[in-house]
Amino acid sequence: MKPAPFAYAAPRSVEEAAALLAEHGGDARLLAGGQSLVPMLNFRLLEPALLVDINRIAGLDGIAEIAGGLRLGALVRHRMLETSPLIASRFPIIAAAMAEVAHLAIRNRGTIGGSLAHADPAAELPLLALLLEARITAVSTQGRRVIAASDFFTAALTTALAPDEILTEIELPDPPAGSGWGFAELARRAGDFALAAVGVIIAEAGGICRTARIAMAGVGPTPLRAPAAEALLQGGTLDTGAIAAASRAAAAAAQPADDLHASAAYRRHLVEVLTRGALSAAVARARKVVP
Amino acid sequence: MREELRPKLVGARVKRVEDPRLLTGQGSFADDYRPAGMVHVALLRSAYPHARLLRIDTAAARSMAGVVAVFTGDELAEAARPMVATSKMKDYRATAMPMLARGKVRYVGEPVAAVVAASRYIAEDAARRINVDYAPLPAASDPLRAAEASAPLLHEEVRSNIVLSREFARGDAAAAMAAAPLRVGARFRFRRKAVLALENRCYLGDYHRGRRELTLYSATQVPGIVRDALSELMAMPEHLIRVVAADVGGGFGGKASVYPEELLVAVLARRLGRPVKYASDRLEDLLSTSQAFDEIVDAELGVANDGTIAALTAEVVGDVGAYSIYPWTAALEPVQVVSFLPGPYRMPNYRGRVRGVATPKAPLGPYRGVGRPVAAFVMERLIDMAARRLGIDPLAMRRQNFVAAEEFPYRTGSGIIWDRAGFAECLTAVRVALDYDALRRWQKEARAAGRWIGIGFASYAELTGIGSKIPAAPGMPVNTGTETATLRIDPSGSVTAIFGVASHGQGLETTLAQVVADELGVRLEDVRIVQGDTAGRAYTTGTYASRSAVLAGGAGKLAAAALREKVLRAAAHLLEAHVDDLVAEGSRVAIRGTDRSLSFREIARSVYLQFGRMPPELQEELEATKLYDPQFGTTSSATHAAVVEIDPETFDVRVLRYVVAEDCGRVINPMIVDGQVHGGVAQGIGAALLEELVYDGEGQLLSGSLMDYLVPSAAEIPPMEVIHIEAESPTTLGGFRGMGEGGTIGAPAAIANAVTDALAPLGIEVTELPVTPERLYRLVEAARRKE
Repeated sequence: MKPAPFAYAAPRSVEEAAALLAEHGGDARLLAGGQSLVPMLNFRLLEPALLVDINRIAGLDGIAEIAGGLRLGALVRHRMLETSPLIASRFPIIAAAMAEVAHLAIRNRGTIGGSLAHADPAAELPLLALLLEARITAVSTQGRRVIAASDFFTAALTTALAPDEILTEIELPDPPAGSGWGFAELARRAGDFALAAVGVIIAEAGGICRTARIAMAGVGPTPLRAPAAEALLQGGTLDTGAIAAASRAAAAAAQPADDLHASAAYRRHLVEVLTRGALSAAVARARKVVP
Repeated sequence: MREELRPKLVGARVKRVEDPRLLTGQGSFADDYRPAGMVHVALLRSAYPHARLLRIDTAAARSMAGVVAVFTGDELAEAARPMVATSKMKDYRATAMPMLARGKVRYVGEPVAAVVAASRYIAEDAARRINVDYAPLPAASDPLRAAEASAPLLHEEVRSNIVLSREFARGDAAAAMAAAPLRVGARFRFRRKAVLALENRCYLGDYHRGRRELTLYSATQVPGIVRDALSELMAMPEHLIRVVAADVGGGFGGKASVYPEELLVAVLARRLGRPVKYASDRLEDLLSTSQAFDEIVDAELGVANDGTIAALTAEVVGDVGAYSIYPWTAALEPVQVVSFLPGPYRMPNYRGRVRGVATPKAPLGPYRGVGRPVAAFVMERLIDMAARRLGIDPLAMRRQNFVAAEEFPYRTGSGIIWDRAGFAECLTAVRVALDYDALRRWQKEARAAGRWIGIGFASYAELTGIGSKIPAAPGMPVNTGTETATLRIDPSGSVTAIFGVASHGQGLETTLAQVVADELGVRLEDVRIVQGDTAGRAYTTGTYASRSAVLAGGAGKLAAAALREKVLRAAAHLLEAHVDDLVAEGSRVAIRGTDRSLSFREIARSVYLQFGRMPPELQEELEATKLYDPQFGTTSSATHAAVVEIDPETFDVRVLRYVVAEDCGRVINPMIVDGQVHGGVAQGIGAALLEELVYDGEGQLLSGSLMDYLVPSAAEIPPMEVIHIEAESPTTLGGFRGMGEGGTIGAPAAIANAVTDALAPLGIEVTELPVTPERLYRLVEAARRKE
């Protein structure tokens, strides 16, 4: 289990890295935390000619406040998301979900940019990007563009990034004021990829649901939103019946497949259970029933 | 102080003497040896479950820079004989396991060609450039299909995939079953499990051309068996072969067999005249290390209305994989299921039949518990099924049917003898520790509040410390029933104790030192245990089958007693005292009741450096060698209790509490016994809830990484309470019983019973392990559809 031979470069700037990608295109791979890439190299599932290590590029590991949200560098580690006071106060759902990601050693190395670019359909950060309507910046020698999370995940392990593009930062717009969140996941063991995970954001005004977002992971080729379920909630009261109906609609929107660990039917069942739990928690938080 | 009042090391929680070395990265594992000139092996392994080998083109691989040599099975055909595990068992069909495949491949992962190169990286690059033309053959991956007469044959020469069958019978099981007022039964399935030691298998062969000596550094539990095998397979006298298993990172049975890769590096080292290393990676470990369980058991229990067991019948099909593991044979695991199925219970009528079926999978082999985890799963489930139907408490039903104290020694339905053992004492201890009646009340309240709580038990008995009158594997011609210890005192007065056993984590350097130090009268720190090396022994096998504490402990006691006599004789001369007045203690010999004494160092220096001053009859080395043979074996037993909670919506299972009361006779080191129980139970919980090697219908392994093959982590393992019951063994020296395997035997059954108990309101019986959330979902859905 040794990787095939590869060349290695450690550029000091995004421009330098972009130039390397422009030159090598699909034969090159970016190395950030390496928590998915290195095992794939060792299994020889990937045999890139060049590894471009972006860990030495300065300025990609910050969490900064911007108007109406936060900006995260691509090299922000899972562990930083888990422990950052800024994340805890502005996006507590991220901090909570990070505790479900793998194990501490992996969270210390893994990055948000790497997780989004790797696009594992059962991973937490792609789900959160979709739920929080993140805007993802990609840079190449051709320039820079911003991709909406809803356009970013195109298939299993596949994104809208071109082979010569580097994911450099992620902008997270603040959720509506007074909103509540919920996150629920089931994995076989602590730290495993989710059999199913659900994240929700809801906001109420005058007893009426104004915003409802539901995103799920592990139950399709990409993380998924559940628009029909969201529509059921919006404009209505968030009572038990509505939550149950939305949870059923979310389960209907899932696109699970059978695999070694769970059948599609069980995963769909889990989506309903987890959505119900996440929505109930979100309503309680929005209503300040829980701290 | 009188001898019997002295503080003893045996029984004390002595800290493991090997741990400072192992915990600070100073161990010597096979992969740590890097002799000058060493080259590395990478193996090309079969991607096909069953295929004819048409042509293997190694030219491109050979031509790569850094490649030393490339070999196929045909090219090494003359270098070693194929491994054939033989047995005197009737209805066992011996098959050969090649070092590298010849003619055809029989499982995915079977070694096909070996590349030797300057580095493992280069070797793997080159292995990818070997071209093999396979002609795929049909294969039956499902053992029931493979057992059919029309199934494609894996080993044509034995004309059937059923490579072994055996039957045990006592009384008239059919008649007793027919007459039984209550019969409970099911088809039970325990899925295939990986052994999964922390250290992968690793072998380093080093051949000295000048002296024609071969040294094999091996991650093995059985250096002695490996040495004997190499001698026979490579036609070399044993005094030219040394097998060293210095530090080994876990074995659990997976390192108790001789492997093709082990023979291969020895053959390559001899052929190339330079050190050759093969280190398995995790994928190769999952593909090719011997595997566990995988039996289908159709079993039925006949019970009287008062709960008395009348009869047990079982038909077992064991999926033994492609090859018969050397030297234990494919019979080891499935036959033990049938021979241990009656458990610790009085069983007047029994019939157990087993068939072992070859399939295109990695070979089945010994795994912690061997057969007994599956036997206990089936038997303990049957007991609970019957108890529930009769409205009898499961603990009461067990207790009522246990072989009673006055019935020992008791011959079981399959002919195993239980010597006096603490079956009832263990059960009672668990009942008390649980505060059972209060626990059941709490369960009732929790159920009323919507929680799915289950309480499950498992009682079992196992034969440990097996002597030379019983083969460790059915009909196996290797003697595993003796162990020899050599103890010597050097001029500095320190003690070297040489054993044939091979610790792979169980702390034998500590426990054997405790036994030797107590018997010899020296301090623990003055004893060094040498083990895991064939150089010190004429004949040895290794560590497996819960034998080392009993056999090596017994040999150590005998040798220490003999050596103490020598020391006391010398001291009597030096102190001008009578031997009967002397006492050895704390590395000194003293005249009882006086302040006159000599240290072992003073005695040893007098003996060795002033031989001339000793009378001729005392001119002897301070050394003793003694062999110990417990003849039969001794019974270890336990009762386990698990309390589980199932999430009623996600079907996630949590183990809330775990209690073990076990009887391993006299406990040498309670801390080490606790550790063995903890580890064994953790493996048993993994087997019950998580771990499953999944092969598809064609024989492709789907769970080939630790992302897909799920072992429990600390987060899945509850704190455990362990209670030691010391019912002294009348049959073994020192009263020791083996205890390395029990945790894994009891835990799957206890968890299965606890999960079933939690699901009792739905009427669900767990008959398949591991019981995953997916399987629970399907069971619950089916039960709700029925309602």
